[in-house]
Parts: sequence; structure tokens; C-alpha cells
Amino acid sequence: MIKDIFVMGLEAMKSYKIRTFLTLIGVIIGVASVIMVTTAGGSVSSFIAEQWNVFNPTGMVIGTGTGGATPQLSIRSVVFTTNDVEKIQNLPYVKTVAPLGVVPLNKILKRDGFLKWESRPGDIMYASTPALLEILNLNLEEGTMFEEGKNEVVISKNVAEVFGKDKPLHVGDMIYLRRVDSKTLEAKVVGILKESSTANMFNALSTPGIICPTKPYYSSYFGSNVGTILKRVVAYTVLLAEATDTKNVQNAQDQILKYLDSGGSDANQYKDQNSDFVVITQQYILVRIEQVLSVIRTYITAIALISLLIGAIGIANIMFATVTERTREIGTMMAIGAKRRDILQLFLYQSTIIGLLGGLIGCILGASGSWFVVDLLNKNIQNLGGAFSTGTIQLAYAPEWFLIASIVGILIGIAAGVLPARKAAKMDPVVALRYE
Amino acid sequence: MSEYVIDINSLTKIYQTGKTDFKALNNVTLKIRKGDFVAIMGPSGSGKSTLMNIIGCLDRPTSGTVIIDGENISIVSDNELAEIRGRKIGFIFQKFNLIPTMTALKNIALPMVFLGGTKADRDQRAAELLGKVGLTNWATHRPSELSGGQQQRIAIARALSNNPSIILADEPTGNLDTKTGEQIMELLVALNKEGKTILLVTHAIALKRFANRVINMLDGEVSEES
Repeated sequence: MIKDIFVMGLEAMKSYKIRTFLTLIGVIIGVASVIMVTTAGGSVSSFIAEQWNVFNPTGMVIGTGTGGATPQLSIRSVVFTTNDVEKIQNLPYVKTVAPLGVVPLNKILKRDGFLKWESRPGDIMYASTPALLEILNLNLEEGTMFEEGKNEVVISKNVAEVFGKDKPLHVGDMIYLRRVDSKTLEAKVVGILKESSTANMFNALSTPGIICPTKPYYSSYFGSNVGTILKRVVAYTVLLAEATDTKNVQNAQDQILKYLDSGGSDANQYKDQNSDFVVITQQYILVRIEQVLSVIRTYITAIALISLLIGAIGIANIMFATVTERTREIGTMMAIGAKRRDILQLFLYQSTIIGLLGGLIGCILGASGSWFVVDLLNKNIQNLGGAFSTGTIQLAYAPEWFLIASIVGILIGIAAGVLPARKAAKMDPVVALRYE
Repeated sequence: MSEYVIDINSLTKIYQTGKTDFKALNNVTLKIRKGDFVAIMGPSGSGKSTLMNIIGCLDRPTSGTVIIDGENISIVSDNELAEIRGRKIGFIFQKFNLIPTMTALKNIALPMVFLGGTKADRDQRAAELLGKVGLTNWATHRPSELSGGQQQRIAIARALSNNPSIILADEPTGNLDTKTGEQIMELLVALNKEGKTILLVTHAIALKRFANRVINMLDGEVSEES
């Protein structure tokens, strides 16, 4: 008998095709938007987290800025000396440390017979030590690392193609680097970096990337020196470091800060009195990003849930209208033997079917919609160029949300149908039969 | 078991409309034997609809006893009342009251759905009844595709589907022309000859001739014509 009443409900819905369809749309949009928001949101989250996966889990960046609970790095002044690098390297919980000096370039040039190509201006070269490769998880595809004091550089794949894909640079090629102070320095390409599968600092901060030894490229640059006229020393803006293992990231951080804040560090002497030393760990970066992303996710999920609620109100509204419109039919059914439970079921099935159908169609639409959204985002990312053009957002469906959205769809169907169905079931058959 | 299929003693029905009570039925005693064809006549507001509703188990008495085919309807639950209605009463309405979204066959089968049973049995019984009212070829038509007379025949077939002992017809010819109305009345007479107890509620004096008993109602009280 339940099956018969279910079929009756289905047939009634078939008779009111447009009405059923419009009500369905409300639920479909609600469920689809929940799926789309959670899928696209999840996909973008993992993409962004990956983009900021700059270091190993043990990695950290040391600089100056504002300390406290939410430390902020401001890459302005050069404060860390070679002496500081050595001292930090000797701390027990520090595995490796590498300095990072910024050498802004105007142009990259190459002589090829009589021809000379120039790259676009605005590229940045980083002065460091071979330890940098380990900290940033970079590998050489060919060649070797540069030697300190020699005119040698290591370049990224992007730089290798800076003169065109058809004229790539090779290990052994000579290039000329024109700094922003107009000084042009000769450099031999000794190594080319392997394109890293995940994003790293070098394609995140600057494309293309060139890594050079401090001497001669950075030490002769006017922006690299601190101290008095009598005693000028080369110093770096930031240091990159790795803790010995993931358990000791906090210990390494504490030790580094303790050293820097002590009177024994050069950096303490050179830093601006108003700024603090700041150590930002990879773990902290990821935690912060996750915090920001979860706020955004919560916000858009709330919006999607609101549209689901609107779908529910749509069902309730249409069911009330249907119940009122069919009052005399309800009276007739009661007169010919329908129990209150039968009437209740009849209307509840209809709203449940709408919720179920809407949930299923919404899931399918939401799944294809999120594919479309992620595809669109990826196209926009490619157009953005620069920092983020290296990655693509991977579509990451969250299966639990399909289940949640379908169940919520059905529940909404039931919940929205309960009141109208009860109204129908509670009718006085005498009054209902007289209804015009 | 009483010799009466409908056994009403001292039935009073009071409606509360706002602060004043309205006595729709006043101490009505009425006994109807199985196989009677009773016409209940009276002007609007005389209480004949209220009496119909109580006999039809759609409403309950305020006081007095009403026994329908052995069941005291004052003391049963809503569900039991619905069950009695489904099994023992067949309703025929002035406006036919077919379900517009269902085919003729499904309308006829509907009362059987509420009592259970297999679909095959229901469909077979509905098809038989469709034949009985002469509309075999109209099984898959919806009410809107049928004439008034055809709709009322479907309604009669529906009233018969659970093989009830009592047929309640409330102005069954009210929405039909005279000729069609006559045909419907002849159908009711035929059913009466098969043993069904028929209660006909009507204004139309012309229909009195089909009944073997005529009950007149006025101001909530009954009197029988002899």
C-alpha cells in the first residue's frame, strides 16, 4: 500500500509538470552550489597551500619585521652578515642555513656571433650559497653548483628559455647580467635547475630565477653593504634555514631568535631599532593559510547553504499551495476510506521525491559545474602569468559533500513537506468536501 | 446483529459557531433496513447534510448512538472510522469528486488502495465495475475528458469498489440534465435491486418516486412520509 501511495504521489507530480520542475530547480541550485563551492573551494585550497609549500616541513625564513603572535616579515633592510650565517649554522637544532641577497637586474644579454639578444628588464637574481638548493628542495638538471668568488651562475628552466624556446641556454654558455646600477657582469652558466614539480620560492617570487655567488655579483652591489665607512660588511636581507627534524622546528626557531636578539649577533647591531627579528616557519605559513582559507570556505559554504534553505522554502511554499488547491480531493479521498496517515504519506512522498531528485540532479550538476569552475580558474591563472603560472588547480572532489548534499536534499524535502502534509492530514473531511 | 443496517437512536449534533451553539440535529431516531431505498428530503439548513455526514462516518454525533452495519461509530478511533467508511459506505457526490489527475480506472480502484490488496486484484475489480456502468472503453480517460453523466457513472463504480452495504448519494443528479439524471437514478435502482441499501439526499421532489421510504427533515428533526 505504501508503494501504491508512493506511485500516486509520483503521478500527481507528473500531472503538475511545470510546478514540479520549478520546485526541483530550487533544490537543484541549492545542492549544486553546495557541491560547487565545496569542490572548487577545496581544490583552490590545496592549490594555494601547494603554492606556499616553499620549504621542506622543517624550513623557515629569518628576517626582520614585526614580531608577536602574527609575525610579519618586511624585506627592507640588509642586516645578516656572513658571521651570523656561520653562528646560526653552528646552533644545535639548525641543520642548514643559507643567506639570500637580492640583486635586481635590468637585462640579461647574450652574444651570439654578431647578434645580441636582450631579455625583458625587471628580473631578480639571488645571491646565496650552495646550501640554498637543499633548503628549497631544488635539484640541478645538468651542470654543477657555482663556486664562491667565480663568475658563475645557476639558472632556472625559465631563464634558460629567456631568449626563446628555440634558442635555449646551455651549461657552459656565457651571459651578461646588467644590474640596476648599470654595471654589467659576465657570467658562465654552470648549472640548470630541474623544474620542480611543486611550486617553490624561485618560481613563486620571481620568474625567471638566477642564483649567483655573493662574490662578485652581490658584494659589489651598493645595496648589500652595512656598517660605517671605516668598516663596511656585506649583509643579507633574509636567511633561509632548516631545523634538524620536524620535531625541533620550534627549538631551532627559539635558538635562532635567542642568538639574534643577543648582543653577540651582528644583525642586532645593524637592524632598525623599531623592528624585531622574525622567524616564519613553513608550518606557520601553512597554518595561517589554512586559517584564511577556512574562513573563506565557511563563508561561501554558508551562502550555498542559504540557497539550499531557499530551495526548502520553495518546496514548502509549493506544497502548501498544492494542499490548499487539492483540499476537495483530500476530502474525497478521506470519504472513500483514506486514513490520515495515507494523506500525510501522499504529500510527504511528493516533497521527499522532489528533495531526492533535486539532490541527485544537483550533485551531477554540481560535479560538472565544479569541473567548469576549476577549468575557468586554471585559464585565468595561466593569464595571470608570473608567480602562479607554474601550477594548475587539481579538481579535488569531496565525496563527503556529495553525501551531505544528497542527504540534506532529502531531509529538506521531508522537512519542507511535513507542515503542508500535516495540514492536509488534519483536515476535517466534512469541511474539505465542501471546499470550492 | 441488529436487523437494521443503520440504527440511529436519539442522535443530537450540536455545532459550536463562535459563542452560540447550533443544534443541527435534534434527538433523531431513524432505523433503516438492509435493502431500503430511502430518500432524505428537506430544505437547506434542515440538517440533512449533517445526518448524511454522520451516517457516512465523516462526522461524529454529539450525543445518541449511531450504529452502522453493526459498528458504533461514537466509540471508534479516527483510523477505525476511516476503515468503516472505506468498507461499508460508498459515496456519490453531486459534483462527482473524481481525482482529476487519475484515469477512470484508477479512480475506481482508489478506495481499494486504501484497504490494501494486490494491484492485479484491484485492477480486475475496477475493470469489472467499469463494465457494469457501461464505460469499458473509457478506462484510460481522465475525468476532464468525460461528460458529466460518464463522470457520475465512474463515481458510482468507485462507490461500489469495496462492495459496501450502504450507498450514500448526495444530490447525484444535481449537476446533470434530466435525461442523464434519469439514467443515473435507474442505475441506483438497479443497485438497490441487487441488495444495496441506498440513501438519497435531494431537494428534487421528482426523485421521490424511486424510493420506497421518504424521510422529511426540518429544523434538525425527521418525519417519515407514509
